[in-house]
Amino acid sequence: MIENSSTTPKTLPQPNPKTKRISMMTRPRLILRTVLGGLTLVTLYSLLTLNTANLKLSEAFKSLGTNLHSMFLQPSVGQDSWNLLLTALTRSVSLAMLTTLLGALFAFFIAVGAARNLSPTWLANTIKAVMAFIRSIPTILWVLIYSVTMGLGANAAVVGLTFHSIAYLVKAYSESIEETSSDTIEALKASGVGFWPIVFQAILPSIIPALLSWTFIRFEINFANAVAVGAAAGADDIGYYLFMSGSFYSNFHEVGLIVYLLLGVAVILELVSMRLRGHYLQKN
Amino acid sequence: MLKVTGLDKTYGHHKHSLKDVNFTAQPGEVTAIIGPSGAGKTTILRSVNQLIRDDGGQILLDDVDIRQANKKQLRQIRHHIGMIFQNYNLISPLTAIENVLHGRLGAKSTLAGMLGLYSTDEKSEALTLLQEVGLQDYAYQRCDQLSGGQQQRVGIARALMQHPKMILCDEPIASLDPKSTRIVMDILRRLAKEKQLIILINLHQIDVAREYADHIVGINSGAIVFEGPNQDIDAATLQNIYRQPETAVTDNAN
Repeated sequence: MIENSSTTPKTLPQPNPKTKRISMMTRPRLILRTVLGGLTLVTLYSLLTLNTANLKLSEAFKSLGTNLHSMFLQPSVGQDSWNLLLTALTRSVSLAMLTTLLGALFAFFIAVGAARNLSPTWLANTIKAVMAFIRSIPTILWVLIYSVTMGLGANAAVVGLTFHSIAYLVKAYSESIEETSSDTIEALKASGVGFWPIVFQAILPSIIPALLSWTFIRFEINFANAVAVGAAAGADDIGYYLFMSGSFYSNFHEVGLIVYLLLGVAVILELVSMRLRGHYLQKN
Repeated sequence: MLKVTGLDKTYGHHKHSLKDVNFTAQPGEVTAIIGPSGAGKTTILRSVNQLIRDDGGQILLDDVDIRQANKKQLRQIRHHIGMIFQNYNLISPLTAIENVLHGRLGAKSTLAGMLGLYSTDEKSEALTLLQEVGLQDYAYQRCDQLSGGQQQRVGIARALMQHPKMILCDEPIASLDPKSTRIVMDILRRLAKEKQLIILINLHQIDVAREYADHIVGINSGAIVFEGPNQDIDAATLQNIYRQPETAVTDNAN
């Protein structure tokens, strides 16, 4: 260790004889309040000068009420069958599951390269920059970009969703890896253990709860994306039927049913993730 | 036998951390390195298994110079040097026995190591070692549920699992209460005698060093100021070891 150099204690600054008034208005607070005040003014101004044209607000709200009523209180399968809708829903879930699993697998190995405590700085920074670039472009756009080369359909959806999932999970995973204590890694290094055994035997067990919860969040995001992608890329999943019933057939009963189905899946996903996390965390 | 000669280490451009450090440590003995904070105790210990790269000298373990080893040889040498730490450095979500088994990872192929494949013999050896440090009832407890003294004993069992020639102990009792300190030090002394291990140990507590060490290396400002059997230490030597570093820098500049 480095020796402690002799440091002479610094003399404390003498208290100012004149008492100074303490202002609560620090500079960051001033900026925050000015911005919020400005936004409030803009909002009020635009509300007051809103051009409603011929729209009658009371009728518009009444029509909204009717639509919501037919959507959520009278859901039905509409022109499609239960069988068709459930198959499409399963397809969406499978799409989300496949892309999350593929993404998680690739992301873990890339994240090892992107973690500053395991990899050389230049490599970690390069990977992080590339992943940040991929993330900054929305998933749907990636699906559309891939559909140019692969054609519209499920293939482009899988590749596009996986691509964006990898970029997202690499960030989450590499940050989890960076949080593991360097001491425990050093202990195994000191006993002559190689790089990959350390990754799998020391780092992985320490970060499994974090990995699980990030992967599950990504699963939920991918499910939402899969629905949207279904409509955009024609992957023939539940999103496609949602789009058709809403925009093409204007069948709000079916829109309502599909929304309920999606909600059900979201609730089930949440329950499963809670149980899984509980299983891995209960011993803490 | 561990023989260190002419070990040098400089941090940055001008700070001499170690200056011409020479000492030996014998199998079957507890060798303690004592000295004030920042004297270079940790640097010495970590140079011995090259966790810190030094700038010059020789570190011979059974006549093999660790400093000359390439990456692969270094891993093999390190596999036979156990190490325990002030903060135990166990993988805390894993059970005690899993941590002990980690001592075998250095002897495995990359794939077997990644998958954590251990033979039945290795598993029963791990259990025996846990029994040896008095933790047979805690084998399947998560390590973050164990007390500090128990975690340190798991650390010792992990080091023994490496079939070491030497165990390096970096401030092993700095975070322990007096009772756990006694248990841990008793185990280390017993291991040195029974298994003829070299035990090299950094200590802050002079009284513990006086009680347990066979051989003592006193260090001040990166230079050896005393090396010899425990009984040769007197009050004047101690004062010399622990004198203020400010004066020591000029005194020791040979």
